[in-house]
Amino acid sequence: MLRYLAKRGITYVFMIFLTTSAGYFLAVSSLKPALLEQERIPRPTPEQVANSMRLKGLDPDLSPWERYVEWLTAIVTRWDWGRSPNGAFINAEFGDRVWISTRLFLASIVLTLVIGVALGVYSAARQYKFQDRVITSYSYLAYIVPAPIAYFLVQLGAININETVGERIFFVTGISTPGLEPGWAQFIDMLAHYAVPTVAITLVGWGSYQIAQRQYLLDNVNADFVRTARAKGLTRNQAISRHALRVSFIPVAQSIAFTIPAIFAGGFFAEKIFAWPGVGSWSIDAISLQDVNAATATLAYGSVIFALGAILADFATTLVDPRVRVQ
Amino acid sequence: MTNLNAVDPAAVAQDAHLEGADVVIGKNTIIFRRFMRNKTAVAGLAIFLALTVFSFVGGYFTQWDKETIDPFNIGMPPSAEHYLGTSQAGIDLYAMTVEGTRISILIGLIVGLVSVLVAAVYGCTMAYFGGKVDKVMLFILEALIMMPALLVVAVATSGGGEGLKRDLPSWLLLIIVLLVFSWMGTARLIRSLSMSLMQRDFVKASQYMGVPARRIVWRHLVPNIGSLLVLDITRGVTGAILAEVAFSFIGIGIKVPDVSLGVLIGGATSQVQTFPWMFWVPLTVMFLLTGSLAMMNDGLRDAFDPSSSSSGSAKKRALKTRVKGNAS
Amino acid sequence: MSSEIAAGRVEQPQSPAERLHVAGLHAPSDAILSVRDLNVRFNTENGIVHAVRGVDFDLMPGKTLGIVGESGSGKSVTSLAIMGLLPTTAEVTGSVRLKGKELLGLSDKAMCEYRGNELAMVFQDPLSSLTPVYTVGTQIIEALTIHNPGMSKQTKEARAVELLAMVGIPSPKERLRAFPHEFSGGMRQRVMIAIAIANNPRVLIADEPTTALDVTIQAQVLEVLHTAQEETGAAVVMITHDLGVVAGMADDIMVMYAGRPVETGAVDDIYYNPRMPYTMGLLGAVPRVDVAEKSSLVPIEGMPPNLIHPPTGCSFAPRCPLASDACLEGEPALAPVPDGPLHLAACIKSGSLGGDVDVLDVFAAPPVPVSRFDAIPREERATVLQLKDVRKHFPLTRGALLKKRIGTVKAVDGLTFDIREGECFSIVGESGSGKTTTLLEIMEFHKDQDGEVVIGGISNKKAADARAKSAMRRELQMVFQDPTGALDPRFTVYEVLAEPLQNAGMEKPAIRKRIMELMKLVGLQPDHVNRFPNQFSGGQRQRIGIARALAVNPKLVVLDEPVSALDVSVQAGVINLLDKLRAELGLSYLLVAHDLSVVRHISNRVAVMYLGKIVEIGEVDRVFDNPRHPYTRALLSAIPVPDPQLERTRERIILQGDLPSPLDAPKGCNFATRCPVFAALPKTKQEKCLTLEPPLLPVTPSPAAQTLAADPLPALDQRFACFFPDGEIDEDMLVVHEAADHHAP
Repeated sequence: MLRYLAKRGITYVFMIFLTTSAGYFLAVSSLKPALLEQERIPRPTPEQVANSMRLKGLDPDLSPWERYVEWLTAIVTRWDWGRSPNGAFINAEFGDRVWISTRLFLASIVLTLVIGVALGVYSAARQYKFQDRVITSYSYLAYIVPAPIAYFLVQLGAININETVGERIFFVTGISTPGLEPGWAQFIDMLAHYAVPTVAITLVGWGSYQIAQRQYLLDNVNADFVRTARAKGLTRNQAISRHALRVSFIPVAQSIAFTIPAIFAGGFFAEKIFAWPGVGSWSIDAISLQDVNAATATLAYGSVIFALGAILADFATTLVDPRVRVQ
Repeated sequence: MTNLNAVDPAAVAQDAHLEGADVVIGKNTIIFRRFMRNKTAVAGLAIFLALTVFSFVGGYFTQWDKETIDPFNIGMPPSAEHYLGTSQAGIDLYAMTVEGTRISILIGLIVGLVSVLVAAVYGCTMAYFGGKVDKVMLFILEALIMMPALLVVAVATSGGGEGLKRDLPSWLLLIIVLLVFSWMGTARLIRSLSMSLMQRDFVKASQYMGVPARRIVWRHLVPNIGSLLVLDITRGVTGAILAEVAFSFIGIGIKVPDVSLGVLIGGATSQVQTFPWMFWVPLTVMFLLTGSLAMMNDGLRDAFDPSSSSSGSAKKRALKTRVKGNAS
Repeated sequence: MSSEIAAGRVEQPQSPAERLHVAGLHAPSDAILSVRDLNVRFNTENGIVHAVRGVDFDLMPGKTLGIVGESGSGKSVTSLAIMGLLPTTAEVTGSVRLKGKELLGLSDKAMCEYRGNELAMVFQDPLSSLTPVYTVGTQIIEALTIHNPGMSKQTKEARAVELLAMVGIPSPKERLRAFPHEFSGGMRQRVMIAIAIANNPRVLIADEPTTALDVTIQAQVLEVLHTAQEETGAAVVMITHDLGVVAGMADDIMVMYAGRPVETGAVDDIYYNPRMPYTMGLLGAVPRVDVAEKSSLVPIEGMPPNLIHPPTGCSFAPRCPLASDACLEGEPALAPVPDGPLHLAACIKSGSLGGDVDVLDVFAAPPVPVSRFDAIPREERATVLQLKDVRKHFPLTRGALLKKRIGTVKAVDGLTFDIREGECFSIVGESGSGKTTTLLEIMEFHKDQDGEVVIGGISNKKAADARAKSAMRRELQMVFQDPTGALDPRFTVYEVLAEPLQNAGMEKPAIRKRIMELMKLVGLQPDHVNRFPNQFSGGQRQRIGIARALAVNPKLVVLDEPVSALDVSVQAGVINLLDKLRAELGLSYLLVAHDLSVVRHISNRVAVMYLGKIVEIGEVDRVFDNPRHPYTRALLSAIPVPDPQLERTRERIILQGDLPSPLDAPKGCNFATRCPVFAALPKTKQEKCLTLEPPLLPVTPSPAAQTLAADPLPALDQRFACFFPDGEIDEDMLVVHEAADHHAP
């Protein structure tokens, strides 16, 4: 198993290297921070701009290949992902933001999965009944709404609640209110900040899990082994919950791992709309600021998350399906 | 029955007679009938067609276009002169919606069709050649899946005045980027489907007869993955429309002065309380578009599904002919 | 506990089922399971399917009832209805009584008290019938836990080990922790039996328990069922389509057709004295592995009726050669026949039928076709296919995700044989013996193969260019096992048949003419060419497959299990067709089949394969009547024959275990690990089997025969690879069922 994971790991490291390199070339050839600098007032001379860029390792006069070599050497030798045009160090900026993003998504990921799978099981058990139709229709509806618009609508709803009540119950933007004493007040404040984005991400996310879980369970409800279990003396419902359910988790477990990258990708939208300074909103801002290094770093981060998801998917499959266990 | 090599001229004549007769309903006819029986799917098709027609001819119903500013009507609600009101810049919202719908449909159709085409070619190639070719192509495919598409879109569409950005309108640029990142899932599906088809006995039978590979691909593989392709086109169109709206909504993707549904929706968010129509009108259009496609997709899936519960006269009729065959 | 309930019920006014029950042949108290007027209806989109129509039977304690019928006859539905396992949409009426207690109408929960406890079932497909994510131990223990909540963990585990040992799983303690996928099909079926007998059931229903298994494994599983019945004293309901399987086991037989029992009686009455044309047809439709004399099989034309429409006459009448107008007036009831009150048949003509009526006459079986090649000695006929030392080795990898090479599988290991004009050559063996790989090696011949394949005089070594290849292809066509998968569902029959002709460059009018010819040749109506494959029955689809193979007039047709997917009555028609085509068109066949009876019926020569090698080859009657290799003997003895008396007394060699993993193949004789002769050999002789590979040598006529004969006897057409063909057979592997032990009157 370990050898297998190691082998997969190496493949993914190679893939990440390729995607990141491709991303760097794309960024370096289309993002021109120097042009933005020149729009500053008072307008600096081209020499000044070039000088300041050179100091930050963003020399616009070098060819993309030369810059790539320089950039790569820094990463490989010093784990230094470079600097932004405004002089900030990527490494330093990155740490905080990864933590913020992770905090935002952790609760949503868990809720999405739990609610999605639970509703999938529930609706499969009531196939074609009213509850099933409502739940499944909702999931299909969630599929045709673009994520940012759904987030925005949830935000609007929260604002409406605030306005109806006449007091600020939910914070619809930001991560925390600065200057609060640690303790109960800060905890309530945290909840008020987390509630809206978490609800929004969960509401949009569970649909696909509900549909998948429902389908896989229905596929297994009439399986031969369920019949065997009933022939032993289990009731239909017992046989389904002890046997079919467990088997129907196999494909779901596989896809669960891929939610993580998917939610992080959806996270770009969530962070942007709820104004959380995480990796997602940072990367989009960085791109509009023509920040080559930050853009590449976030791209690499996205690839790493994806690779982790893929390895996790293998791992999860092995966990739930004895047939693929490697001796 | 014993005289095997003699040909009964009567039988040949009978066969010629049967050629024209409707002995068996073609599979396509069955699919078409099943689709037409599904009311939701037909409604979806009708809405989609209506929107498409609207986006092309809707412009003729108003004197305004998406560039002309009406200085006397700035940020006005719907009125007789401006059917859907005007934006804060005084541009007619109706004209912009027509234009935006057209761009969105265009993006959806182009990306949906071309990406499925690319996927089909790529997937079939992988399945057909197998071995090393398959491995390398799969690697490329997975690497592309790994790339966060959104960042690439952002980089590509917000470049600093050089390269692609300058030469191409932003919607075309978006189409290209969406195309690059939209075909991998389908390609993987087509690959595995073709691979399992290659193992099927009827493909083997053709191979053992010495039928050339390209003819096998064309006559056996393509028709058998055809239903999947059609389904993936509608899915792809929906996906592309959604992606455009999502990207434009947060300000990457299509950029003003180009108009799309995403741009209109995104631009209106800040004043949704004061100018609600600016937000809800393009949003409704988008829902109609994606919703109608989803309805169609559902009907198509049922129509293609051989085990579909949507049994109609077609199926019963096939059964009847079978029974008749036994009796005779 | 429930006697009060039962007593309470008796006082209620009697329902029709109740009255029938009382009027039954056995007093209700005798029967452990008693079924009366069982009817099952399914509501489908096409209408109401009346799948089971009035099944009655009584099962005595410790006895075996065989329910025989083809697919769609309602036999499996009957068993599921008894178990209460039908979907809730099914409408079940009538009466099912277990020890006098009514089971029909009980809730799912109430039924659970009986299921797995007094009433147990073994299902057909062992591969999908066990939950893949739980160990077999967990699944056996679950069955114990449900009905013995108070049992301690240790006791349950000990009982599970005991059960696994009882069904013949080696090292049961360790295997308890194994998952189903680590077991072979035969082993999984043993586990299923262990689960079924866990709580000492009074009634054990086995629904086609051996259909998916190889003959050797089938013999093992039947043996396990026999042991299980002895151990638990359960009454068994054995459901099967194979008249051979139940011949030796059953006490009574019920033959079902179109949802109804059409003939019931003691096993000997049914087999030796059938009174219903359908039963007669079924018995005549199966070839016998133990009979050399060749006669055509009885084909039952047509298809079973559609159960959506209530029958107006005898449901078998449309297919019955004896049907008259009287048969169409109302369905005949199951009535006693003249020879005994316990033998019932649903046929108005049952009085005039019986054991002395020749079924071949009744069904007008075609005469045995004679090929013009039959008169020519084999040596003088041209060779159509020749294999010289063909080998195919695969790397063996382990692990589903990470493939690790752990050895080589010698799927085909040095195969040499030839096929002459007009003969049918068969390859037999268990799955995994390399039969299918051999076919693939022939069909996918190429230049770089290990070994030589000569087709129609052209060697694969010279088939570099496309022209030589297509010349070889034209000589050689194939018919596949699964007639559905072999036809593109999107092609009409016309297109299916046109494909090889177009490929051969034929003109359109010629193609049409040829297709009409082909349709008639295989016995299909030419005006059906515009239909799609799904509009035909399985047998008809297989005929289309045969027509396609014959389109380009090949010399040799490769038949890969051509009838194994078909029902018995349909199978006979296809076999007769193959026989006829071989004679009339002068074809040669290469047949791969696991059904040795079919092989014996249509082949001239046969090769027995074991782990990639031929262990015995020769003229079919010689090999089947005087098998020399212990494996051939074991294979032949494993096949059940539809002859109850013979089955009851026949001695059977039951091979131990499954086909070994190709990795464990010993250096010497491949078969040594399972060989019944090897097991009984003294150590000194065993050494030879383990170190030397036995060569394939011809059978020499016995010295006595040679001295008697005036001229030197010609070498016989039979070769085998064994050092000790006359060795004693190990007693553990030899099973004889005493006639008295199980078939007391």
